[in-house]
Amino acid sequence: MELIETRSLSKRFGQHIAVDGVNLSIKEGVCTALLGPNGAGKTTTLNLLTGLITPSTGTIEFDQSYQGDRRQYIGYLPQYPKFYEWMTGEEFVIFAGELAGLTSKQAKQRTKEMLDLVGLNDNSKKKIAGYSGGMKQRLGIAQALVHEPKLVILDEPVSALDPLGRKEVLEMMKRLKEHTSILFSTHVLHDAEQVSDDIFIMKDGKVVIEGSLTHLQNTYQKPTFFIEAEDKLEGWVETIKGQDWIDQYSLDGKNLTLTVDNVEEARKRILKDPMFQELEIYKFEVAKTSLEDLFMKVTES
Amino acid sequence: MNEAVNALQELNWGLIAPILLLQFILMIVALFDCLKNENLNGPKWLWILVILFINTLGPIVYFIFGRGNR
Amino acid sequence: MLFKKEWTESVRSYKILWIPVVFILLGITQPVTSYYFADIIGQFGGLPEGAVMDIPIPTGAEVITATLGQFGQIGFLVLVLAYMGIVAKEKNHGTQILVLVKPVSYTNYLTAKWAHLLCISLGSYAMGYIAAVYYTFLLIEKMVIADLIYGGIIYGIWIAFVMTVILCLSALLNSTAFVAFAGLGLTVVLSLLSSLTPDLMTLSPAMLTSHSQNLYQTGQVGSGFGLNLAFTLVLIIGILIGTIYLFHKKEIAQHTT
Repeated sequence: MELIETRSLSKRFGQHIAVDGVNLSIKEGVCTALLGPNGAGKTTTLNLLTGLITPSTGTIEFDQSYQGDRRQYIGYLPQYPKFYEWMTGEEFVIFAGELAGLTSKQAKQRTKEMLDLVGLNDNSKKKIAGYSGGMKQRLGIAQALVHEPKLVILDEPVSALDPLGRKEVLEMMKRLKEHTSILFSTHVLHDAEQVSDDIFIMKDGKVVIEGSLTHLQNTYQKPTFFIEAEDKLEGWVETIKGQDWIDQYSLDGKNLTLTVDNVEEARKRILKDPMFQELEIYKFEVAKTSLEDLFMKVTES
Repeated sequence: MNEAVNALQELNWGLIAPILLLQFILMIVALFDCLKNENLNGPKWLWILVILFINTLGPIVYFIFGRGNR
Repeated sequence: MLFKKEWTESVRSYKILWIPVVFILLGITQPVTSYYFADIIGQFGGLPEGAVMDIPIPTGAEVITATLGQFGQIGFLVLVLAYMGIVAKEKNHGTQILVLVKPVSYTNYLTAKWAHLLCISLGSYAMGYIAAVYYTFLLIEKMVIADLIYGGIIYGIWIAFVMTVILCLSALLNSTAFVAFAGLGLTVVLSLLSSLTPDLMTLSPAMLTSHSQNLYQTGQVGSGFGLNLAFTLVLIIGILIGTIYLFHKKEIAQHTT
């Protein structure tokens, strides 16, 4: 079941095309990460989904079974949430709940639960002007969740936080996944790997890679051999290249990187190769390529 | 000078009192807020002087320009 | 809720207190100074004996007109400076993002602010006006109550017009300083044109002020009043609708990179 789907969504600001023909499909009950370097168009994409800006071309469709204004099913936390600082934290969340259509009684009840969830209960009666950055971020999450949205959109929820706050928020997102669908943007692959099920990688306004985390891991995380020798490896590589157990190789003089499909088989083949045994091997290492390599490759090229 | 004093005595203080009272309220509220507020445009002591010594206009100017931008 | 929020904001920033106080002060000061004017000149101005009597105490109509003149200058200045940021500040600061991602219509967002603006400005004005009338009755002369009420309402519509313009400018412009400048500029230009070339400006909202003056002095509004009033009300509604439409078309989230 697709909760929200976009078709060739584009947004241009004057000459600059911020989002260029993006097709996203976000499933219900799933945590989706929008990953990409700064300036890839992530925030613009999220703003399009929330309806804060209108697309230049393309369409956004929300699940047909949820009728009416799609904003009522969406909770949004901007990258830099700005509150009415003269309100107390509690007042703001109640206000947000009432805006979203809750009765004042429901809003009060939900506010209490949400402030509990994000751990702001002790400070709920304080003016927001006196909150720290991390507290504001948590308050932002509370106000995004207060009306029990079907989809929570978080823009860079952890990038402004210190490592401890980052861990707290990621843990909170893991718990949230049980109740609601999450879409969040980040420029840190590690964050995406930790909590998300689906990943879209964006670059220059386009989605360059998409799929589930496991799919990406299976496709792009392959066993790899790093071999380093005293003399040149070119001769040996000539004899093995093109064999079907090798997926990819890259040779740099005395350094060889081999990507393979099956570690066991490849190890046997390499070690039993008489020509290999002749070589003066310096280093022989088995590892996995990380998604980081993929991410770097995709975003830097 | 005596004439001026006489003129002042002729003033009906019952009429003037509400003006003074309102000015006083304005000043007290501005002063109270200024002392409490940590988010001022400009130095606090300056605003306190403005509120105390510029009649009526001082507190108003404080409310419009002195309070932080929130 | 949006309307309630505006109230709370005005309460916390003491606007709800000091704006009415300013209007009441203006309303009291004018009759009182008019009343004592002769005395003060006589005592301090060093005029020869007997000249005192040459300065007449003004009529009630003159005093009320002068008070409205004060409202139209200092009163507007205060209102405009206090509320120039009513939309622009939330836009610049980013607070409106959290409001407008919720299922809130742009119409509600703006009309709540508009209603609040009218409540504060007209409420403060009414208090100041009542104070002025009371003091005028006390010190100068009694006037026809019905004329005062009608005149007050007519002037109130002019205030409502100015406030609507302020909301419009605040929603469409980004700089609060420019909002104040354009708002006050427009008010001054309209008032000047209306008093200099009343024949050309029969429809101008600022003409309402001269109609209210006529009412105090002669008990009658000037000619063309009905059309003037209707046109002003249409303008107020028109500007409000236009503002909502244009505000909706503007992009809320600004481009960041």
